[in-house]
Amino acid sequence: MNDTGIGASVRRKEDFRFLTGQGTYTDDINRPGQTYGYILRSPVAHAKINGIDLAEAKAAPGVVAIFTGDDMQVGSIPCGWGVNNKDGSPMNEPPHPALAQGKVRHVGDQVAIVIAESYAEARAAAELIDVDYEELPAVADLATALDQSTLVHDEAPGNLCYDWEIGEEAQVNAIFESAHHVTSMDIVNNRLVPNAMEPRAAIGEYDSATGEYTLYTTSQNPHVIRLLMGAFVLQIPEHKLRVVAPDVGGGFGSKIFHYAEEAIVTWAAQKVRRPIKWRAERSESFLSDAHGRDHVTKAELALDQDGKFIGLRCYTKANMGAYLSTFSTCVPTYLHATLLAGVYTTPAIYCNVKAVFTNTVPVDAYRGAGRPEATYLLERLVDRAARETGMSQSEIRRKNFIPEDAFPYQTPVALQYDSGNYTATLDRAEELADVAGFQARRSEAASRGKLRGLGYSTYVEACGIAPSAVVGSLGARAGLFESANIRVHPTGSVTVYTGSHSHGQGHETTFAQLVSDSLGIPIENVDISHGDTNKVAFGMGTYGSRSLAVGGEAIMKALDKVITKSKKIAAHVLEADSADIEFKDGKFTVAGTDREMAFGDVALTAYVPHNFPHDELEPGLEEQAFYDPMNFTYPAGCHICEVEIDPDTGVVEVVAMTAMDDVGRVINPMIVEGQIHGGLAQGIGQALMEGARYDDDGQLLTGSYMDYCMPRADDLPDFKVGTTTTLCTHNSLGVKGCGEVGAIGSPPAVINAVVDALWDQGVRDIAMPATPNAVWNALNGAKTAMAAE
Amino acid sequence: MSEGIRFVFRGEVREIDKIDPTLSVLRWLREVEGASGTKEGCAEGDCGACTVVLGELVDGSMQYRAVNACIQFMPTLHGKQLITVEDLASPDGALHPVQKAMVETSGSQCGFCTPGFVMSMFAMKVSEGRPSRDRINDVLAGNLCRCTGYGPIIEASEKMYDAGPETAFLEEEKRVVALLEGLSSDAMVETADKGRRYFAPARVDDLARVYTDNPDAVIVAGATDVGLWVTKMHKDLGTVIYLGRVKELKEMRVASGYLEIGAGVSYTDAWDEIKKHYPDFGELIRRIGSTQVRNAGTIGGNVANGSPIGDTPPALIAAGARLVLRKGEERREIDLESFFIDYGKQDRGIGEFVEMVKLPLPKAGSKFRSYKISKRFDQDISAACGAFMADIEKGQVKDIRICFGGMAGTPARAKHTEAALIGKTWDEETVKTAMAEMVKDYNPLTDMRASEAYRAKVARNLLYKFFVETSQVGEKVNTRVVGDRELAHV
Ligand SMILES: Cc1cc2nc3c(=O)[nH]c(=O)nc-3n(C[C@H](O)[C@H](O)[C@H](O)COP(=O)(O)OP(=O)(O)OC[C@H]3O[C@@H](n4cnc5c(N)ncnc54)[C@H](O)[C@@H]3O)c2cc1C
Ligand code: FES
Ligand code: FES
Repeated sequence: MNDTGIGASVRRKEDFRFLTGQGTYTDDINRPGQTYGYILRSPVAHAKINGIDLAEAKAAPGVVAIFTGDDMQVGSIPCGWGVNNKDGSPMNEPPHPALAQGKVRHVGDQVAIVIAESYAEARAAAELIDVDYEELPAVADLATALDQSTLVHDEAPGNLCYDWEIGEEAQVNAIFESAHHVTSMDIVNNRLVPNAMEPRAAIGEYDSATGEYTLYTTSQNPHVIRLLMGAFVLQIPEHKLRVVAPDVGGGFGSKIFHYAEEAIVTWAAQKVRRPIKWRAERSESFLSDAHGRDHVTKAELALDQDGKFIGLRCYTKANMGAYLSTFSTCVPTYLHATLLAGVYTTPAIYCNVKAVFTNTVPVDAYRGAGRPEATYLLERLVDRAARETGMSQSEIRRKNFIPEDAFPYQTPVALQYDSGNYTATLDRAEELADVAGFQARRSEAASRGKLRGLGYSTYVEACGIAPSAVVGSLGARAGLFESANIRVHPTGSVTVYTGSHSHGQGHETTFAQLVSDSLGIPIENVDISHGDTNKVAFGMGTYGSRSLAVGGEAIMKALDKVITKSKKIAAHVLEADSADIEFKDGKFTVAGTDREMAFGDVALTAYVPHNFPHDELEPGLEEQAFYDPMNFTYPAGCHICEVEIDPDTGVVEVVAMTAMDDVGRVINPMIVEGQIHGGLAQGIGQALMEGARYDDDGQLLTGSYMDYCMPRADDLPDFKVGTTTTLCTHNSLGVKGCGEVGAIGSPPAVINAVVDALWDQGVRDIAMPATPNAVWNALNGAKTAMAAE
Repeated sequence: MSEGIRFVFRGEVREIDKIDPTLSVLRWLREVEGASGTKEGCAEGDCGACTVVLGELVDGSMQYRAVNACIQFMPTLHGKQLITVEDLASPDGALHPVQKAMVETSGSQCGFCTPGFVMSMFAMKVSEGRPSRDRINDVLAGNLCRCTGYGPIIEASEKMYDAGPETAFLEEEKRVVALLEGLSSDAMVETADKGRRYFAPARVDDLARVYTDNPDAVIVAGATDVGLWVTKMHKDLGTVIYLGRVKELKEMRVASGYLEIGAGVSYTDAWDEIKKHYPDFGELIRRIGSTQVRNAGTIGGNVANGSPIGDTPPALIAAGARLVLRKGEERREIDLESFFIDYGKQDRGIGEFVEMVKLPLPKAGSKFRSYKISKRFDQDISAACGAFMADIEKGQVKDIRICFGGMAGTPARAKHTEAALIGKTWDEETVKTAMAEMVKDYNPLTDMRASEAYRAKVARNLLYKFFVETSQVGEKVNTRVVGDRELAHV
């Protein structure tokens, strides 16, 4: 390994610009002649629009134009994934207009855009718009939405988007009939607001000379936006539409989706013939960024007399919000139900998912997308089952783990895990967490009046999303491959064009390490370019922990091609057969001789091809590869959380958080650790602090940082993280993905620890977020109940 | 009088003759200067992405404070140095120790929060020695990061001290001091733009005069409330009078049994002094907003805004604070308590301003406690905030004052409860009886921060907590779950 190659904790190449304030985020870009857009949003959750009076606003100072849904008659914002009902019929897919068409369906729904010379003028003018809303009852509550007579969409009777299933219900029911023990729980996965620190922004621009449009946007996947917006919403052909996603300040899923504002500014720029910049205020982020999670599930686990899991059945209601966001439909199905085997050998699984419309902000993928929900319900069930059957947390898991020698392992819910060693990971986690010393720590805490609890979570997830053939058969309306282009310049420096997109993951470093390692050139000589559809051939972007496993593999494939061609060039110059050329440490050598040629010389020769045999060798050194994986990758791990609870106040303190994750081969340990830390912070945030709440009228109660509780520096413990490694068997790097594991594994570990601490006080369950108020109420409720007995 | 504003920026004096008085520093940087290193994450003072550092000459030496540029108005920069993230690396590109430490610990991921963190850390690095972990938490409490989980940033906040003192920066500082000395003057600063006028007097008499002449003006102290009126509520403030330059209002002194706190004293400046006399009040101040908010916000503003949920009025009222109001040449002094007439209504006449808050020094043997109940330790608005001041002599309650915020339309005393305690034995029975009286004092609201029942119960229980903490002296009581737990035992 060289010191900038695979496995080295290389300092990040992107840090210099971020630390000196020289990053270029969308809102940092200003275009000549730029105007400013302000989006007027619905203040009510559900209403008919009887009229919009623009007269006063149009006359306000600085106003360039105002457009409403009447003006913007374009295609519907598409959903990227069709899910069929259990009877095979397609899901209900009501239209999703960029600007409201006669009706608003959630607080924050877009009603009009005001374009003015300054942002302040646009905003001031918007306040003069008089919208005549005829308010309708709101469907705000997920649990009861299916039974309400009010319809979010007339096209979706019963507010049902789809009623989907996986597995054989009758077969699973039969197993439950004969089970030795059944553990049942009602489980809620709380609704979250992703809250990337950079608010969404978009700049639309139209060049009337060429007919070309440009959209700068805060996106995790500019090519996907180009496809969705260009082909479906605005009917702009790809060669006339450039989408640029420059530095992006965090996404966590929320910047995957195609949002209305992107289409609105692009469309309107052509009307006003000037660039339009729009940037969300934080309150708009709360009201218009897709939210995450929001499931309610009835879940049951059947065990035999040996404590082995023999069946699992789940009935989930998943909130879609008011419209179907890009990937919303696949999250509770293909990213959730297919993970319900977890790390266990459960032979029979049934899951029914009803996707539900409500008058709330659309819900879509948020860090982990579906896998945290699956892990949470499974690990809560397993924890409870252990308590009910008298097994330890460790024992019940070990007994049911898929054994190391069973890989590749076909689960009953479609996935085939390629590799893993769950027992080894659990062993290492228990060691690092010092589980053996827990009882002593618990007694010590008790002497201080504190309740101490220990919670486990052993998870597997499917990422590296994903094989196009598989996702296509499951309803994805796109392929999920990745592209890479390696351009070797005449002096041997390299630019890599990748379809992945970095918004915090450090691709510019990790990917450069791959190139440095493969070509044996200094990392300074490698630049990674991403985020511009005019530079990068194509790309599916970054989400589902796919950048390295898919995007990185595409780079490896292109590097292979570069090396193959370089060998031909070296063979030509060194007058040898290319089969005899060996490449190592940046040098091409004729096997068994000391005749060699440095990579830089090969590059130069490629561009100065004075005596190339033209029929055999083209000039230049640039290669393109597309990589489509054969399977998902399956990171797995064990998170162990230790909490202390003050019974007088209900305050939960996470005193230790251990994460042992198997993410396959690690290219940059420092970056991997950073990803895991970030995921854990969000997982602990979900478990203890965060929760989006709506009132009965569909008003978001938690619409600012004052009211939505984001973890701050003093809310989190020091993390103990480690990795174990089993290599992915179907990609050359052996990598699996690390971006989401922290957020997937940790919430149940935290809640199981809380329940462990409270169990002897009679508390059996607690919902997320386990705030002091919730814990205190649970403790006192249990006390009262015990007293009554 | 001086027209326009002058401040030091990028090593030079910047002169701006006309400026919109409520243009935020953040908007100016990003939209006028094209300096986009400073980020906007919320424009509400909550996230710290916009953190910049203000350098100011105080008694001849430089003082550096991190503030939220999103709610700081441009003209308030007059006479100060504005330092942004672009200023830290040396011209040859060498990173500042703060930045270096952040690279080494991997303290940045997406980079969006990074400039704000760097500036908060920088302000600490140039102002104080190696911090405790608690101190780091205080300094970073006003900065949100969604990517890193904070660990690496905390580590960098320690590691940056390994680089030693700020030699290059201190060298440059000499030059800046000279520039700032050149800007210092007692003249009133005035500017106007877009029909909005701005006055920043340097002397209190000038303030009195200009406010009498412009009684419709909005007074701005730290702008941690007023800033949001502009960024969030989109209000047009018209004429603005800024208190931040008024010398007399920035003074604090002990005189005839009172700690006199000028209305322009920031929380940060008041903190140490108040802590000396009322340790628990000090702890309360630590929990107001964040470092950035405390560096700008004032106790005067917290009182004058009349809010029922301001954190300092209950403590001040319980301690028996007095308020000095001034209009033109006339001054009057009232009990702070009587200042709060009703929700949204205070005893403050047209053209009258708060000049000073007078906090009586505690009598020997008296007991004081203040408790803030909110969902988080820092950067959160109280659901309820209570303060207690008791004179207990030989186990008898000689006097007690109880005041709560968040329980009524104004900060309000619990007179029935007090009456049930005064003259009685300070024991559990008395306290329990008094707790039951509290229903007569308060009729709290249910809102999203807390329910009526929760508020009522918490207020009762805080009295009990006060009793436990003050009656079991010498014993280790376990009544504090956050912050400095030892304060339960003072
Ligand atoms: C992120 C954030 C967190 C916060 N956290 C807390 C908290 O934890 N607890 C809390 O209590 N508050 C909190 N606040 C509110 C605010 O910080 C306080 O109310 C602060 O004390 C206001 O002081 P200021 O100097 O900034 O006042 P300004 O905003 O300048 O003024 C506030 C009001 O008082 C008037 N005023 C100011 N000074 C005078 C004077 N001398 N005479 C007459 N009128 C005057 C102004 O005209 C205005 O009406 C927070 C604010 C933010 C943005
Ligand atoms: S932008 Fe969030 S505090 Fe200023
Ligand atoms: S690095 Fe992304 S928000 Fe902090």
